[in-house]
Amino acid sequence: MADKPNQDGAPAPTPEQEVRRLYEEAETRVARAAERVVSRDSFGELLAMVTENVVALTRIGNEAMDLVLRNLRVASRQDINRLTRALGRTEDKLEQVLQEVEELRDELGSSQNGTARSRSGGGSRSSAASSRSGGTRRSSGSS
Amino acid sequence: MTPFERLARTPIAALEFANTILTERDAPIGTTPKDVVWTHRNTTLYRYRNANRRYAVPVLLVFALINRPDIFDLRRGHSFVEFLLDEGYDVFLIDWGVPDESDDDQGLDFYVCDELPSGIRETLRASGQDEVSMLGWCIGGTLALMHCGLFPETPVRNLLLLTTPVDTSGSLYFNWTARDSFDVDHVAQVYGSVPGRSIDWANKMMKPVTNYWTTYRRLWQAIYDGESKPEAHQAMARWVADNPPFPGKAYREWITFMYKENRLVRERMRIRGKRVDLRDVDQNILVVTAGADHIAPRQGTLPLLDMVGSEDVTHFDRPGGHIGLMAGSRARKEIWPDIAEWLGERSDR
Repeated sequence: MADKPNQDGAPAPTPEQEVRRLYEEAETRVARAAERVVSRDSFGELLAMVTENVVALTRIGNEAMDLVLRNLRVASRQDINRLTRALGRTEDKLEQVLQEVEELRDELGSSQNGTARSRSGGGSRSSAASSRSGGTRRSSGSS
Repeated sequence: MTPFERLARTPIAALEFANTILTERDAPIGTTPKDVVWTHRNTTLYRYRNANRRYAVPVLLVFALINRPDIFDLRRGHSFVEFLLDEGYDVFLIDWGVPDESDDDQGLDFYVCDELPSGIRETLRASGQDEVSMLGWCIGGTLALMHCGLFPETPVRNLLLLTTPVDTSGSLYFNWTARDSFDVDHVAQVYGSVPGRSIDWANKMMKPVTNYWTTYRRLWQAIYDGESKPEAHQAMARWVADNPPFPGKAYREWITFMYKENRLVRERMRIRGKRVDLRDVDQNILVVTAGADHIAPRQGTLPLLDMVGSEDVTHFDRPGGHIGLMAGSRARKEIWPDIAEWLGERSDR
């Protein structure tokens, strides 16, 4: 279908393009309206109430399920969580030991290096001195 | 297209549409090769393989607790990690893992005072350096910021904060969660760890029509017009749908400290009894905000620019949303090079 040009020279939109444009316009409006709705105080209150109800139902469900499993002498989720937490505490302690070992290893390494340097008569070099690059400026770039 | 062609196209497009949606979960994401450096509880520190390391100071990526960090490495050709590696950086990533109910005792202090310092320590050990650049995104940015405010002696040279919530007043989340009727303690207590699905639902409800309808309508349109890029849609859809639970204590503290009491900007944030003093944050700082960010709106991040003690503060403001800014199709040309340039000037070769 040959499009009749608009006054500005651009080809006139086809009916399909026009329908699509109108639909997208309507969708954008609905989306904005929905965003306005969810930002209202009343929606926040509604959300809080829905959350409270869902949480209450979840708690009732969990408790009932745990009770059933306990009566069946099967480990419930709570029992497994208790065990997992105990494992987590053990891992925390191992992590502390690892940190101590790494620090000791670093100390040992640096003291050995110091001994080697003093034996060879080499000069000292500060190892951990950190220098900041980038100068001192506050800037704001935007595009 | 003639009416007949349109008619014939419809069932094919429908099949393609269904296939794209149904195989979302199989989309490859986070595929850049990496090695495990350190693990503790659910946390894993990864180092990306790179034979082209030109900058001495390693980059440590820190993401939020509510989604997986694969967004840093979404897919080949559209991966921020890949970009940084090509630029010559030594890239590390802290992955918080997938917590469950047994992790409900992990509060913000666990991440800020235990996992981040350990991650930094192991990054330095693995790279053989004595300083690190830390890049935090969303909640990851707030955690990184709190870490620097809490530990002035931390070996973080450069701090990059992407769409980071600081002052939450006026945000939609504030409107939803700061009210008394939202009992965050009760939610955290019952769930242990708050299901990721419910947090994802809340995020999507911020723009309900866009998230639940327009995304799929546009996908259909693109498929129908023969212009779809299913791999782009699938990678993002898979990442969006992968929601780890939010550990109960951390969730309670995040909502209470950041939204109900807005402590960070009021200078009342205390972690393990110690005040987070943003004036002690003296790293070189880059703050990136997104003009259309509805989760961490720009005006909620800007107060940070005047609160930190650093003398080197740079702010980039770009168009885009909370995630789209860094993971959108234009990110590679519009924001990544600027970040790399800023970082390059502050990372010794």
